[in-house]
Amino acid sequence: MRWTLFIGALIGSSICDREKFFGDQVFRINVRNGDEISKLSQLVNSNNLKLDVWKSLSTFNRPVDVLVPSVSLQAVKSFLRSQGLEYAVAIEDLQIYHEMDNIASDFPDLVRRVKIGHSFENRPMYVLKFSTGEGARRPAIWLNAGIHSREWISQATAIWTARKIVSDYQRDPAITSILEKMDIFLLPVANPDGYVYTQTQNRLWRKTRSLNPGSSCVGADPNRNWNASFAGKGASDNPCSEVYHGPHANSEVEVKSVVDFIQKHGNFKCFIDLHSYSQLLMYPYGYSAKKAPDAKELDKVARRAAKALASVSGTEYQVGPTCTTVYPASGSSIDWAYDNGIKFAFTFELRDTGTYGFLLPANQIIPTAEETWLGLKTIMEHVRDNLY
Amino acid sequence: MQPRRQPPPAPRSGPGNPRPTPLLALLLLLAPVVAPAGSSGAENPAQPQDAGVPRRLLQQAARAALHFFNFRAGSPSALRVLAEVQEGRAWINPKEGCKVDVVFSTERYKPESLLQEGEGRLGKCSARVVFKNQKPRPAINVTCTRLIEKKKRQQEDYLLYKQMKQLKNPLEIVSIPDNHGHIDPYLRPIWDLAFLGSSYVMWEMTTQVSHYYLAQLTSVRQWKTNDDTIDFDYTVLLHELSTQEIIPCHIHLVWYPGKPLKVKYHCQELQTPEEASGTEEGSAVPTELSNF
Repeated sequence: MRWTLFIGALIGSSICDREKFFGDQVFRINVRNGDEISKLSQLVNSNNLKLDVWKSLSTFNRPVDVLVPSVSLQAVKSFLRSQGLEYAVAIEDLQIYHEMDNIASDFPDLVRRVKIGHSFENRPMYVLKFSTGEGARRPAIWLNAGIHSREWISQATAIWTARKIVSDYQRDPAITSILEKMDIFLLPVANPDGYVYTQTQNRLWRKTRSLNPGSSCVGADPNRNWNASFAGKGASDNPCSEVYHGPHANSEVEVKSVVDFIQKHGNFKCFIDLHSYSQLLMYPYGYSAKKAPDAKELDKVARRAAKALASVSGTEYQVGPTCTTVYPASGSSIDWAYDNGIKFAFTFELRDTGTYGFLLPANQIIPTAEETWLGLKTIMEHVRDNLY
Repeated sequence: MQPRRQPPPAPRSGPGNPRPTPLLALLLLLAPVVAPAGSSGAENPAQPQDAGVPRRLLQQAARAALHFFNFRAGSPSALRVLAEVQEGRAWINPKEGCKVDVVFSTERYKPESLLQEGEGRLGKCSARVVFKNQKPRPAINVTCTRLIEKKKRQQEDYLLYKQMKQLKNPLEIVSIPDNHGHIDPYLRPIWDLAFLGSSYVMWEMTTQVSHYYLAQLTSVRQWKTNDDTIDFDYTVLLHELSTQEIIPCHIHLVWYPGKPLKVKYHCQELQTPEEASGTEEGSAVPTELSNF
């Protein structure tokens, strides 16, 4: 089963038509004079680009909306730039955003879709806030996903989890009691530009899509960009590297948006970051082999969570601190969270262990999400019972 | 192989700093780790974290040994993957490299039956692996218990061989698996053979620190031959875990069931290919290595 169909099925029949727009974008192009109109006509009439004018060329100073299929994006952008035509991308093209919107409108008493910022290419950053309580700043849990765009099982697991939370609230005592005491914030696509890029250009893209002055290489590793031993071991200062940390901490607007939100909120107790692959459940630190003060407790919780996860399909996870379990990594999200008072900080590296790696087949999405859910719940229950 | 990056420091010999004795080997004993064979492992409390030798080093050795084993066995229908490292010891010489003895269990490589882990089909291997700092091709001595009966293996190899011979050329393939992780059944033989060929490459490139997985095939071309061998060229993308880099490699291999595999390859040591410009910065360091 193809991933696009799977996400489509998750989303529901109303969104099926959207299938054919997957990866496409709507460009709003400003035409200021006759010259620009004729240039644009040239573009629109060229057969091989297959453009579709949504709002047509009539007079000057009216923007024209053109649907550009994903395969033609590059060509159209180059043309517009070379001709000096101004444009903006009018409609976000992420199915996952529509699904988030649907969840929020289906369960308005429980969920809200909140914009916390935008990406380098100006896509919105949306979180789902699950909350049963009034009042500001209830203790909160942050679920982060899709920070590395090629790790598709991460975004997929996140959106499945969102549906799971709303459907199990008031049915499952565990999630009900968790939500009674705490709020959950879920960010399914922490790197939207990268995610679109993996769908349209390069399936194995990892980083953001920010431009690096003086280099032809694009993007920084958003999980080396946090202010926790920034530019230390396990990160690179080479913009062409997959683990390039960026020019400075929080240089990536996607990271900064999360940092600002969490700091402003001020009452997060738990931060979980979903990645793939390797089947690992890890806690700080990545930036050093030093032991975290709470390592003992975090290790116990993680082992319980791994055991719960394994109880579903037998999937085995290894547990330990990041640095010694996988490799040194500075500037990572959970190290930052931990050093900023968020004690329960964990990274999941989801399925598999290398057979398919990033290209995990769609038929493993639900099994992965189901087992991961048990692991997440174990952690969240512990947080609920050990609020500080 | 000329590393572009700073060569990694040799792994520490234990808590505290490695003693700078140039010639004497440091012998370290590890408590053997019990790993239940083929079980769901729900009660297995994972390896102790304060093991004298980082578990990572044993895993590196096991991986290198298994790549070499797969390559040398030359059988695309009998490929194995690492299940669990069971025990090991290491002698580390910070200036030269290290020698690792390792015992590990393996599973049959069968992507579509990934979920049936408790099948009990675990083989056991023991290997001696010598990593030399900054040199490719760790020296390997490895033996494994038999997983599949010899006759069955030969039959499956021959079946695969026939399937490959029947493929119509030119093969119009974009990627295997496709971007959604799907492999068409009739393309499986190509994937298995590519995995076998890649094992040679990954054996040579695995070090104390770097390890690789086969991420995707991005091009395949089969050549006609005068003898009955299978001859084909393909491009693979290898994923290196410690740097997270994706490394494109061109592989040329020649195979006949029961005969040793012949491999020639060239990996691009380039950083992330970027979108528009065709020219990469830095130089392509050709690693033209083969066993022809």
